[in-house]
Amino acid sequence: MMFKLLNKELRLAAHPNLFIFTLLGVLVIVPAYPYGMVFLFGCLGPYITFMYGRETNDIYYTSLLPVKKRDTVKAKCLLMVLAQMTQLLISLPFAILRLRVLPAGNPAGIEANLAYYGFGFIIYAIFNFIFLTEFFKTAHKVGKAFLLAIIPAALGVLIMEVIVHFPGFKWLDSVEPAMILKQLPILVTGIIIYALSMLAAFKISAKRFQKVDL
Amino acid sequence: MNVLSVKGLTKRYPDFLLQDISFELPQGKIMGLIGKNGAGKSTTLKSILNLVNPDAGTVEMFGKNFFENEEDCKQNIGVVLGGIDFYNHKKLSDITAVTKRFYHNWDDDAYQKYMKTFSLVPEKRVKELSTGMKVKYMLALALSHNARLLILDEPTSGLDPVSRDDLLGLFRQLVESKGISILFSTHIITDLEKCTDYITYIKDGQLLCSDEKSKFIKSFQHLKEPGDKSDLSLEEIMIRTERSRYDV
Repeated sequence: MMFKLLNKELRLAAHPNLFIFTLLGVLVIVPAYPYGMVFLFGCLGPYITFMYGRETNDIYYTSLLPVKKRDTVKAKCLLMVLAQMTQLLISLPFAILRLRVLPAGNPAGIEANLAYYGFGFIIYAIFNFIFLTEFFKTAHKVGKAFLLAIIPAALGVLIMEVIVHFPGFKWLDSVEPAMILKQLPILVTGIIIYALSMLAAFKISAKRFQKVDL
Repeated sequence: MNVLSVKGLTKRYPDFLLQDISFELPQGKIMGLIGKNGAGKSTTLKSILNLVNPDAGTVEMFGKNFFENEEDCKQNIGVVLGGIDFYNHKKLSDITAVTKRFYHNWDDDAYQKYMKTFSLVPEKRVKELSTGMKVKYMLALALSHNARLLILDEPTSGLDPVSRDDLLGLFRQLVESKGISILFSTHIITDLEKCTDYITYIKDGQLLCSDEKSKFIKSFQHLKEPGDKSDLSLEEIMIRTERSRYDV
């Protein structure tokens, strides 16, 4: 069922923009750039797809298929996870490549290191949880859900980008092996928070969508 | 055997109440769900399908409780929601490729046959289809997974008389040759005269009558006025029931 739902999301529901924003993981190879933008693109992609879904009556169509009402929510959660994880995966080889070609680091903000990916998971967790649970209250008010979710997510990005400029947090901006090890707990915590947030977002959204009258 | 049995269906909105709707649709029959605009036809159909959460009532489909066996029941039905277009920019072939994976009984040969019979071109996009063709495409999808019950919300609205007649003829053919049952809402009275076996009439959210067509017509003959020589037609029944007087 999961694959059928994802197939439907990718072939019918997803707006082409989602694929483009997913590809923007490559931005971590830009010499000086606030890489937190990558995560914001990862939030924008689903937003545009949800808006497109409203125009194409995607939720109606899914609800008429032989699936449970909560599967409609599951399909959207799966699509978001797939897009965001693909984006991070795409960025990974470029983050490694920049160690060789751009050893001087990123003067604009945080380096694409383990801490960066850890923060990314947390930023996605914040956005996804608020966006999904708010959207599925009505299944059509996508603008409000986006606004409520993108503000804390953008604040998260801002904190991540600014904090590395303070001397006490320089280790967050490093790609030295010793510092990378120190950053590992951030990545692990980020992944755990992301997984928990998606599970909670799915459960709460499904419960809320159950009550929605289409 | 009844393919659909609706009992006490109730849905409360702040400004509208659909109250205690009950009816039964036997296998191989066509039922017209009638009422003027805003009477509660779409809310009834959406409540049956769990798109709208009913406050009370039960829906039995193929002898099973629909709300408890939603996935199973939906395998055997086809739904067309009037006025709602899906994936306007997508090709029919893409929508089919995705949809067919969800159905256990998908029959590709039947699908090809219906596409051909209905003159549907798989490479066309939904937005390029006329209203009638859109309904036919949804029917082709439904028939290709061997739907035994079609639930259609105003499938004939917005169609020209020729396309409407064509579609109604198709409904009759499907019932006669395949034993399919059809529940469709309409406010076009000629639809009922041409193709229904049963009629369910909803007025202001309340069930007025649900019966076999000839009995339905008989039960409304008390509306006859002095001077009416012959029996009232369906159109006269509906107009006399709904007629309002304005104090202007």
